[in-house]
Amino acid sequence: MGMSLSRLTEKTNIWPWLLLAPLGIYMLVFFVVPLADVAIMSFTEPRVSFADYQKVLTGTLYQRVFVNTFATAAFVTLSCLAVGYPLAYLMAHSKPRTAMLILLLVTMSFWTSFLVRTYSWMVLLGNNGPLIAFLQMIGIEQPPQLLFTRFSSTLAMVHILAPYMIMNIYSVMKKIDPALIRSAESLGAKGWSLFRHVYLPLTAPGIANGSVLVFVICLGFYVTPVLLGSPREQMIAGLIGHQIEEFLAFGLGSAMAMVLLVVTLIILTIYHRRFGLDKLWG
Amino acid sequence: MPGMKTFLMPDRRSFLKTAAAAVTASLAAPYIVRAQEKILYVNTWGGPWEAAAKANLIDPFTAETGIQVKTVSPVSFAKLAQQVKTGTYEFDVTTLGGGELVRANQAGIIEELEAPYEGGLFENGVASHAFATVIAWRTDKYKEAPKTWADFWNVEKFPGGRSLQRYAARVIPIALLADGVAVEDLYPLDIDRAFKSLDKIKDHVRVWWTAGAQSTQILRDGEIDMIGIWHGRYFEAEKAGAPVAMTWNQGEIERAYWVVAKDTPNLDNAKKFVEFATSAKPLAGFAKAADYGALNPASNEFVSAEDAKRMPTSPENYKLTFEQDMANFGADPAELAERFEEWVAS
Repeated sequence: MGMSLSRLTEKTNIWPWLLLAPLGIYMLVFFVVPLADVAIMSFTEPRVSFADYQKVLTGTLYQRVFVNTFATAAFVTLSCLAVGYPLAYLMAHSKPRTAMLILLLVTMSFWTSFLVRTYSWMVLLGNNGPLIAFLQMIGIEQPPQLLFTRFSSTLAMVHILAPYMIMNIYSVMKKIDPALIRSAESLGAKGWSLFRHVYLPLTAPGIANGSVLVFVICLGFYVTPVLLGSPREQMIAGLIGHQIEEFLAFGLGSAMAMVLLVVTLIILTIYHRRFGLDKLWG
Repeated sequence: MPGMKTFLMPDRRSFLKTAAAAVTASLAAPYIVRAQEKILYVNTWGGPWEAAAKANLIDPFTAETGIQVKTVSPVSFAKLAQQVKTGTYEFDVTTLGGGELVRANQAGIIEELEAPYEGGLFENGVASHAFATVIAWRTDKYKEAPKTWADFWNVEKFPGGRSLQRYAARVIPIALLADGVAVEDLYPLDIDRAFKSLDKIKDHVRVWWTAGAQSTQILRDGEIDMIGIWHGRYFEAEKAGAPVAMTWNQGEIERAYWVVAKDTPNLDNAKKFVEFATSAKPLAGFAKAADYGALNPASNEFVSAEDAKRMPTSPENYKLTFEQDMANFGADPAELAERFEEWVAS
């Protein structure tokens, strides 16, 4: 190592890499290595074979749970969009004071532990909760069962994940140049057509960012569907935990995790091709 | 910046060496500290369980032997297996249920132990305490008390929402009893018959509970009307003032065993702890505080008649119950669980 440091850095420009080194080492030790371990376990535990993959890809239980997981994530994403878009619009286009208030409410919900939010829904939707009491008060003698249904778990997941959608769309809406809207108007666009051809396309990156975040986070949801949902719906994360915790089936659990990871990566790749992953954080 | 060269960047090789050493040292630090101090690490369920264990088992143990004890929670069967594999020990002793114990012993992840009291050893676990899955119900819903699992299944006589634990090995024997199988004919289990029986109750089971606290909450708040629940969790709902009742009749008893992690560097102290924790007086105190039944018969003399009423192992209650027979189970628990999960999801 005869070369002086300054010459070395000029030649190979290692400074950015050195600055990245702590994080890089951290990620290597605590993320890449364990993940590789999971990948290896998925076809070596307890012996080398692809039997666990065969089971995950062909077993009716696993197929059903995978389909349920992706269907739930898709539905939750669409619901977050339906709720979040108008709210983000309201935030982006109302007076600063009103916008601040909405923002405060959204972030307050965001920073509340999701377990607390899950339990709150139990209280609200329960047999002795205010909603059922209200329905009985207005004369409905046999109110529908709200808790422990697909409705209650979806409602709670939308509530928990909506802030991701709202924040993403809001930040894009905030950046839209009002001049664009005015010039569209001056060219005769109004009402639905103004929205459809000008505003909506301008907010598309926010919709795409929010959707991909909500979808991917929702894929890994576990506690909320278990506590609030109907017994028949199960998410893949719950099944993975069950296999490892109850049966020490590290191979099967790892194979499920790898399948989930690969499918998620495929979705992110499609997203990247279409919108660019680097835009994900605005 | 030649002046800073030695401090910041001596040269690349020694920098990497130092960095590597620093990383290794910080990763290994907990282990090094442990090896020096010989602290015993006990795996607990946390919460009230840990409080009961601390007051009755851990603190008296430290007072008697001078061995420092720290707790790690929650109980994780998977972690027990992983630490033997990796050689990194987060805890030295833990408790297991009967089904897990058989698997752990087969997998060779627990140490061989000796019976500290007569009949106390099973598959290298020392029998400590027992809990029962019992029938409990809302008294504001039913005037007449259900008595058996057949009553639990009888939704015409006892209409209303049901709940059972999402745990195949515990639900299958119950389903067979409900279908009219006698306790003495229960094991080995007739799995197909059990699933046919489960089909009859399925539409009425609103919650397959997965956590103890969850079972207390849905009974206490009246989300369901009848539940198969651990007896300790039932008493919590009762204590909270909810209109509930239970029966010991056909209660399903399971044993919990202390085990020592295979090849732990703390073997001697771990064995000492297990022996202490299952000795008469500490165990009696723990079982009372954590709402269990003590399995060491010598503990009975330390339990008052009033407390014995709440224990599944007291002679009065025990004769009404039945015990899970893990040695004669009749099915592979993992395969059974997979079939059960598939059944629940369909």
